[in-house]
Amino acid sequence: MLAPAPTIHLQSVEKVFPNGVRGLAPLDLAVGQGELVSLIGPSGCGKSTLLKLIANLHQPSGGAVRWWGEDFSAIGREGRRLSFVFQDPTLMPWSNVATNVRLPLDLDGVPRAQAEARIMPALRQVGLEHAAKRYPAQLSGGMRMRVSIARALVTRPDLLLMDEPFGALDEFTRNRLDEDMARLCARDGLTTIFVTHSLYEAAFLSSRVIVMAADPGRIHAEYVIDPGMPRDEAFRMSDAFARICRDLTALLSEVSPRRAGEEGL
Amino acid sequence: MTVSPRAIAVAAPIAVGVLVLLAWQAACRLWHIPPYLMPAPTDIGASLAANGPALLHALRSTLAVTMAALAISVAGGVLSAFLLVQSRLIETSLMPYVIIMQVTPIVAIAPLIIILVKATMPALVVCATLIAIFPIISNTLQGLRSVDPGLESFFRMHKASRLQMLLRLRIPSALPMFMAGLRISSGLALVGAVVAEFVAGTGGSSAGLAYEILQSGFQMDIPRMFAALALITVAGLVLYGATAALQRLVLRRWQAQG
Ligand SMILES: Nc1ncnc2c1ncn2[C@@H]1O[C@H](COP(=O)(O)OP(=O)(O)OP(=O)(O)O)[C@@H](O)[C@H]1O
Ligand SMILES: [Mg+2]
Repeated sequence: MLAPAPTIHLQSVEKVFPNGVRGLAPLDLAVGQGELVSLIGPSGCGKSTLLKLIANLHQPSGGAVRWWGEDFSAIGREGRRLSFVFQDPTLMPWSNVATNVRLPLDLDGVPRAQAEARIMPALRQVGLEHAAKRYPAQLSGGMRMRVSIARALVTRPDLLLMDEPFGALDEFTRNRLDEDMARLCARDGLTTIFVTHSLYEAAFLSSRVIVMAADPGRIHAEYVIDPGMPRDEAFRMSDAFARICRDLTALLSEVSPRRAGEEGL
Repeated sequence: MTVSPRAIAVAAPIAVGVLVLLAWQAACRLWHIPPYLMPAPTDIGASLAANGPALLHALRSTLAVTMAALAISVAGGVLSAFLLVQSRLIETSLMPYVIIMQVTPIVAIAPLIIILVKATMPALVVCATLIAIFPIISNTLQGLRSVDPGLESFFRMHKASRLQMLLRLRIPSALPMFMAGLRISSGLALVGAVVAEFVAGTGGSSAGLAYEILQSGFQMDIPRMFAALALITVAGLVLYGATAALQRLVLRRWQAQG
C-alpha cells in the first residue's frame, strides 16, 4: 500500500527573482498532515519567499511544489483548502470586519446565508465578536491582525500558512493567540506552516522547527519537538520548554549573520 | 465660552466676507466711485434683481453645459482609465495623447472646435469636457493602480474572477482617488463652460453667463457684469460644496474614527 502523499512536498525548489537575487537555493521539504512547522531564521533568509511558493503566489524558478501530491489546480476543493495570513492584515478598508471575514467565502462562492453563519464563530476564535460592525480604521493594529486570522480560519482550511502573523502584537495577546492556535491546530488536525522571528513562539507551537540561513536562502537544520506534549501554560513553564529554547538559540546562533569577530553596533 | 472648531470654520469666512462687503460698500459711497468704474455691492444686488430672469436663464445655460461636460468627463474618464489600465502597452501608446490634450490651452483650440462642431451647445460641451476630463482619467488610473498588493494576492489565491476583482477590489480601491479627481473636475467643467462661451460668444436662447459678461462690457453696464460674475462664483462654490459632500459621504468608512 502506498503511504499518503505529504500535504506539502517541495522537490529541489529554487527561487531566483527577476532582478537576479537568489531568494532560495534548491531545497527539499515535506510537511505531513497535522504537522505544525515553523520557519525561523535571520531576516532575508527566504522565509516569506518559501511560504509564497507554497501558496503559489511565487512560481519556483526550478523544482516543483506538490499539494497533497497534486498540482495547484486541486487547491480550493473540499479537503484541499488553503489559507494564508500575511505579515500585514491586508484588510479592505471600505468594508466592516464581518464583510472582511466573509470575503474568502464570497470568492469561493459559498451561499450568502451559509457564509453569514460562519462569521461570528470565526470572530469568536480571535476574541473579536464585539467588533463585527466596525471598520478597519477603527481597530488597533493587533485587532486588525486578528481579523486577518479570522478571515483565514473562516474557510475551515486544511492548510494554514502564516507569515509572522503575531509579530506586531504585544506579548500577552501573542501568548494567548499562540495558545489558541495550538488548541485549534490540535483539535482540527490543521496542517500549519508558520513563519516567526520569535524562537519562543516556534518552540511553543511547533511539532518541527526549520532553521533557515541566508545568502542564499536554505535550510540549515531541522528540530523536532514531541507533538504529544500539550501546548498550554504549563508547557511554557516546563523544563522541556526551556531545553527546547536553549537548543533553538544554539541553532540560531549558527546562522546569525553577525558572528564573533565581525563588526557590531 | 468655548466655540467648536466647526462653528469657527463656518463663521470666520462669513465674517471676513461681510467685512469685505461692508468696506467695499463704504469705500464706494465715501469716495463717490461711479458704478461704471466700481459698483458697490448694493448696486450689484440691484442689478441682480433687475436683470434676474435674463441672468438666471444664462446661469441655467452655463450650468447645463457644465453638468453635461462633467457627466461626459466622468463616464469617458472612467472608461479611459479602465482601458489604459488594461495593459502597459495601451497606456504607453495612448498616455502621451492624453497629456497633449491636457497641456494644449483650451482657448487655443476652442475656436477650432466651435467651427468643427456646428451646433453651439455640443461645441461648448466638447470644450468644457476637454478641460474637465483629465483629472478624472489620471486620478482614476492612479487609483486603479493603488490596489494593495497583499489584498490582490489574497484575491488571486482564492481564484477570484476578473469581475470579482473589479467589483470588490479595483473599484473600491480606486474610489478615494476618483472622488478627489471629481472634485477638481467639477470646478474645471465650470471654467471650461465659461471659457468656451467667451470664445463662442453665442447669444440667443443658449446665451450663458459669459455672454452676459461680454454684453454688459459692451454696454458699460458694469453692475450687471459683476452680477453675472457673482452668479458664476456662487455656482462654482455650490459645485465644490456638493462634490466635497459627496466625497465625504462616499468615503466616510475609509476615515471612520473610533
Ligand atoms: N519580489 C522580490 N524581488 C527581488 N528580491 C526579492 C523579492 N522578494 C524577496 N526578495 C529577496 O529575497 C530574499 C528573501 O526574502 P524574504 O522576504 O523571503 O525574506 P524573509 O526571510 O521573509 O525576511 P523577513 O524575516 O525580514 O521577513 C531577500 O534577500 C529579499 O531581498
Ligand atoms: Mg518575511
